[in-house]
Amino acid sequence: MRTGKFLALAGATVLAAALTACGGDDDAGGGGGAGKTLDVLIAANTQYPDEFQAWQKSISDKFKAATGATVKFETFATANDELTKIQTSVVSGSGPDVYAVGTTFTPTAYSTGAFVKMGDEEWKKIGGKEKFNPATLGISGPDEQNQVGIPWVSRPFVMAYNTELLKAAGIAKPATTWDELTQQAKQLTKGDQYGLAVAYKDNFDPWKFVWGMSVQAGNPLVEGKTAKIQDPAVQKAYQTYFGWLANDKVVDPAAVGWTNPQAVAAFAKGKTGYFLLTTPTATNSLEQGAVKGKWAFALLPTVPPGATSRPANGVEAASILSGDNLLVADYSKNKDLAFEYVKLVTEPDVQLDYYKKFGSMPANAAALQTLSSDPKLGPVTEAAKKSVATPFTGAWGDIQLALTNVAVQSLPDLAKGSISTAQIDARIADAQKSAQSALDRAK
Amino acid sequence: MSAHAEATRLLPRPLLVTITVLLCAMVLVPLSYIVLASLNSDVGVAAGEFWPSSFGLGSYSKIWTTADLSTGIVNSLIVCGCTAVFSALLGTTTAYVLVRYRFRGRLTILRGLVGLQSIPGTLMLLPVFVLFSSAGNYLGLTVVGTRWGLFVAYLTFALPFSTWVMVTYLRGLPRELEEAARTEGASTLVILRRIIFPLSLPAIVVAAIFAFLLGWNDVLFASVLTRPETQTAAVALQIFGSSQEGGAVPVYSQMMAAALVCAAPVVILYLIFQRYLVGGLTAGGVK
Amino acid sequence: MTTLLRAPQKAAPKEPRRRGATERQRPLWLLTPGGLLMVVVILIPLVLALWISLIDLDQYTLRRWVEAPFIGLANYAESLDSGLLHSVWISVSFAVLATAATVPIGIAAAVVTQNAYRGRGVVRAVFLIPYVLPSFVVASVWRTMLQPDGIVNRILGTDGTLWLNGPKSYWTLVLVEIWAAWPFIYLMALAGLQSVDHEVHEASAVDGAGWWPKLTRVILPYLRGPVLLACLLATLNHINNFTLPFVLFGAPAPDDVNVMPMLVYVTSFQSLRFGLSAAMAVVSLILVLIPLFVYLRAVRLDVHDEGVRR
Repeated sequence: MRTGKFLALAGATVLAAALTACGGDDDAGGGGGAGKTLDVLIAANTQYPDEFQAWQKSISDKFKAATGATVKFETFATANDELTKIQTSVVSGSGPDVYAVGTTFTPTAYSTGAFVKMGDEEWKKIGGKEKFNPATLGISGPDEQNQVGIPWVSRPFVMAYNTELLKAAGIAKPATTWDELTQQAKQLTKGDQYGLAVAYKDNFDPWKFVWGMSVQAGNPLVEGKTAKIQDPAVQKAYQTYFGWLANDKVVDPAAVGWTNPQAVAAFAKGKTGYFLLTTPTATNSLEQGAVKGKWAFALLPTVPPGATSRPANGVEAASILSGDNLLVADYSKNKDLAFEYVKLVTEPDVQLDYYKKFGSMPANAAALQTLSSDPKLGPVTEAAKKSVATPFTGAWGDIQLALTNVAVQSLPDLAKGSISTAQIDARIADAQKSAQSALDRAK
Repeated sequence: MSAHAEATRLLPRPLLVTITVLLCAMVLVPLSYIVLASLNSDVGVAAGEFWPSSFGLGSYSKIWTTADLSTGIVNSLIVCGCTAVFSALLGTTTAYVLVRYRFRGRLTILRGLVGLQSIPGTLMLLPVFVLFSSAGNYLGLTVVGTRWGLFVAYLTFALPFSTWVMVTYLRGLPRELEEAARTEGASTLVILRRIIFPLSLPAIVVAAIFAFLLGWNDVLFASVLTRPETQTAAVALQIFGSSQEGGAVPVYSQMMAAALVCAAPVVILYLIFQRYLVGGLTAGGVK
Repeated sequence: MTTLLRAPQKAAPKEPRRRGATERQRPLWLLTPGGLLMVVVILIPLVLALWISLIDLDQYTLRRWVEAPFIGLANYAESLDSGLLHSVWISVSFAVLATAATVPIGIAAAVVTQNAYRGRGVVRAVFLIPYVLPSFVVASVWRTMLQPDGIVNRILGTDGTLWLNGPKSYWTLVLVEIWAAWPFIYLMALAGLQSVDHEVHEASAVDGAGWWPKLTRVILPYLRGPVLLACLLATLNHINNFTLPFVLFGAPAPDDVNVMPMLVYVTSFQSLRFGLSAAMAVVSLILVLIPLFVYLRAVRLDVHDEGVRR
């Protein structure tokens, strides 16, 4: 008993000492002069952890050589983590100096007003606006004068197809219209083989389909302060998207439970013709499966469903404008260092190195140009150029949620194998309502 | 000894065996899935395989570079260990006063402690962060990003529960020993240390385990109150659950491996401390 | 709530009152460290949270949150209008079901590990495992196993059954929560069993009572306190569990499992309406507290028995 108590006491003391020791450690770093530290928040990379560490090291070294200051990388695991971090940092006016955020989140970040607006002088500091692929600037701000997001990498969406299965079905080249895609999918579906892999349960995929098809039909979903979700183009988009599973039966019925990774895994088995909506980031995963060496990327169809050519007001949107932007925090005490960092990571050689390590396409125009000669990447670079920005409004987060919710609530019907137009319409009406109320609150 | 065992036996042997086997199966079947998945490839797990099409221990070596798991485990052990010890001690003294003394507001405190348990973490996150960061801005006291800050938060969140565990336990404790000590002139602190703590060791261990696990499993507060060098195992684990934007399959097998690796220290600690979970009054202190 | 914690300090000066010998000097100062922590880390933030629920705090006002417009009870009015009550109902019913199911499992587990035998340590450790695995791992594992073409459907022969959406998703939530949470009851029951006096065992052995009457009439009454407390806290934990439904079902959640924390979370971190989400959390907190205090009174958990009076 006695010794036990002693041990406990000793243990407690040691633990408490450990806490204190650390408290001291943390005070270091805030000092002035050349010993400055720049905090950068970026997404963790679980696919290429070794390369990720090497990249961080090489950037810190370069940064140190150029400025004498150190870069400290903080990573976040999920978009939710990042949002929490941004929220708490904005409220308290302290936190990372530079944030890497997803493109679709940039409007929300902009609406907080907590990030530095890029004027001529700021653009000059990072090496000029003209060094970027013009398409990537589409979601940097509501207009030319009010931009906060500096393009860093782009991740355009494409589809992957199984070259062998398409050949066996006598399909010469991948579809370029949605109707053609459905047609080919029917040809590809037989036995244990399916035409399409679609992630119906994904938290993000559904709205990307619906937005894409609508934009191609001439409806950008938001016009000024009006939501345009209750619209024939949107209805047609949902019908097509649900129809693959419910009517055309070209998707594995199990897809009602799939998130994007499960769709990747299904396609990787080599029994599916097309995997819709993926990016070069998936390369590693696809090469792990039976489909290894038997697949290629293709541009997603750009002609809306039910049409053979794009209507006059339709936009040739091959993908949402996807990737990461860099934002410099307004509260940062190291803004100049922050711009130095942004300049460094958007230089062509750094961008190409990043591409080689992680497969994300450069936002730097010169770097992107050197990649377009790669045949495998042809469709991806093309998609990068034909990417179209989603509406730039602080309400976009809510709209995206409302669009996905239509799919989420429809899954039980889909699982039963049929979904009526009336059901779809009722859910679209709900989405319209919540999208409009979000737009009404937007400032 | 066997007569003693016979006397305290609660269930007939066949029933005991049946229940034990059933409960173990309930835990072990999903657990075996986790173990198998940790040996599988990521694509295999995503495709829903139970029995891996290919086995490999690679995940167990990769996890250490994918996330800074070792730092996380060390931080978690320190922060949660402190939380466990101090919340159990503080909970015991608080409970002692609440059980042995009568004063106005006693019942209100007891009920208030339960009420505090029902406050959702999401409601508290932003205010706690604002409070902690303003301690930095106005008092020059760095709280956010330190283990101290996290410890204080966990200690407070664990305290109502620890106190209640001790209240229910201390209530059943006879007072004779204390009174004897008190007539000999022992002070309250001496009584606590000499009599109450040793006598209530089983409950203290339970309270400590819960306090430990509260910190160990928390992600919400740890993710905003820590920096890379102070991040906890739960936050590091979170990295494995992240799905790469752009559609790569998450590193499922590493995620399972990391979860098992992180569970190991807790299970080992429990194996060490569970010997205090026996005996109760007679085996524990009075003798 | 502030007053209740200040109560002890107030009571202290009124010390000199004639009581039994043991109560001559009540060491109420021992309550101060805990009380201080509660006030600083819980009560002050709680007041702040109440303030947030009264202002129009969203992404547009976040940066200057101190200046965010005060809108009184507007957030509360809107929260009652937004399906919150439905969510609270789902949360509470699911939580009560989960607790009701975990109690017998937890007590049985505690009873079977009470007597020493070879390998008991291992069994006890095994029982702890579901509680030690992080929620998001537990949820990911079950999500994979419950896929339409997953292992559960294959074993049950219910091919293509939808567990993660539609009406069955509610029961999925209950079952997974049970799997993950029963060790909590188990540990509490185990602690309760330790307080059973040795003589009690011997006395009932002498009586020659069968195991069932002995268990129900002699042993289980000892567990009443800890297990009632465990029920209460387990229910509250179920109600506030966010990670499990989030990872199992994703956001936006299917209507059948749109539990209260999911709604609060989505409002807060996807719609970025912090004021509204704070109001939602406060409303549900109040809705939970009412039955809680009724329960506390009914089971008289907090009224002490032999403790003070002699």
